[in-house]
Amino acid sequence: MKHIKTLSTRDLKKSMKKGGCGECQTSCQSACKTSCTVGNQSCENVK
Amino acid sequence: MIHCYKNNGYNIVMDVNSGSVHVVDDIVYDLVPLLEPAVREKKTEDEMLDLAVQQGFSYATEDMKEAIGEILALAEAEMLYTEDIYENYIDSFKTRETVVKALCLHIAHDCNLACKYCFAEEGEYHGRRAMMSFEVGQKALDFLVANSGNRINLEVDFFGGEPLMNWQVVKDLVAYGRSLEKEHNKKFRFTLTTNGVLLNDDILEFANREMSNIVLSIDGRKEVHDMMRPHRGGQGSYDEIVPKFIKVAESRNQMDYYVRGTFTHHNLDFSKDVLHLADLGFKQISVEPVVAENTADYAIREEDLPMLMKQYDELALEMIRRRKEGKGFNFFHFMIDLEGGPCVAKRLSGCGSGTEYLAVTPWGDFYPCHQFVGNEDFLLGNVYEGITAEHICNEFKQCNVYAKESCKDCFAKFYCSGGCAANAYNFTGQITGAYDIGCQLQKKRVECAIMIKAALSDEEE
Repeated sequence: MKHIKTLSTRDLKKSMKKGGCGECQTSCQSACKTSCTVGNQSCENVK
Repeated sequence: MIHCYKNNGYNIVMDVNSGSVHVVDDIVYDLVPLLEPAVREKKTEDEMLDLAVQQGFSYATEDMKEAIGEILALAEAEMLYTEDIYENYIDSFKTRETVVKALCLHIAHDCNLACKYCFAEEGEYHGRRAMMSFEVGQKALDFLVANSGNRINLEVDFFGGEPLMNWQVVKDLVAYGRSLEKEHNKKFRFTLTTNGVLLNDDILEFANREMSNIVLSIDGRKEVHDMMRPHRGGQGSYDEIVPKFIKVAESRNQMDYYVRGTFTHHNLDFSKDVLHLADLGFKQISVEPVVAENTADYAIREEDLPMLMKQYDELALEMIRRRKEGKGFNFFHFMIDLEGGPCVAKRLSGCGSGTEYLAVTPWGDFYPCHQFVGNEDFLLGNVYEGITAEHICNEFKQCNVYAKESCKDCFAKFYCSGGCAANAYNFTGQITGAYDIGCQLQKKRVECAIMIKAALSDEEE
């Protein structure tokens, strides 16, 4: 495309089908202890 | 839902519901919001062009036609103007049987520092000084294994107060946890959060062997750190911890640790603290806004926001610059995994506090998370009897972005997952409320994080 550059992203809608296994890290166990940050975590199944 | 913003010369369009992110030129940037209703109403391309002309857009007709074509192609591919189809899905997801997968063990309700902003009130959490016994910790790990269903990876954070004040129990609990792994098909991921005062080579050697992650508390510049993180006698702690923390970072090959600081009203120029930590050689950095009652002199106030927004912008620019020079570092709140990030279920269902994640006090009581410890209204049970206040757990289970009025129309909901329940409760009296200052900062961080991705993708081309 000439006017639009799309960054590569995970398709959230598709993630409904295979998602929800719950193996991922709990948000607060990483570094934050006072704010919920989920978007920066990685899915255990797409590593 | 779309969210359009400009940052550092980039025009960014987020298609919130699909998770797509587009970097666009000025024509598309102007057209995208204008055309949203027209695309929904299935207007023709000519009608859309008329709409743009009526708006007074002065771009060349051919360019506008081309841009409209590209916008329609994205809409067709469900990468733009995507509908929110997750509400019912998340309801069924949230009502499923949940398992406990993470515990925050309050190994010591005592501390050898007297940090002024500590939500644990010098480690005591509005209660008494106490150390967790091995027996209580053992019961907690047994509870975790028994309540974790088929989940393999179990997370345990040794937290406080200062956990190194009760180090032998930490070591014994790690050994106990490891002894359970094979028989139960579990894998413990241990994390240690420490202020570093008692850190020594023996502890580091053990931690490097056993801890998946180490969180090292340091606020940044010496004067900033020492002002908020003094010893009980008032003297600063910066000089004694910095060499130790550098050693930790290097001994872990600059991975699987964080130096983690808190910024307050007293250091609104916190980007300098982040960069100070980077200049010390740290590669994994997290510096977060203090959460404090409005009456505290160090609390972040509404009027601080413009300055803080500017700080995030400046930090983002400097991070890009350093990255291009080969001196990059990670800033936790700007990390965003666009390709391999969490599934939508995780994104919408909240942090897991009170359901998948529990805090355990030194005497074995369960709370929804470390920030609720000490508030008896949120006492969930204990390691001996298990969960006795199911109704509170159910409230947390139902706490997701669709239960929060202010999240419904927010573009950042897929990145923060509805925010911190403890902050929401402390500022609004409800776990389904929203801590407005926190939300505004979160949104800014998401925008900066995505802009950094856009800038670095430019670089890769």
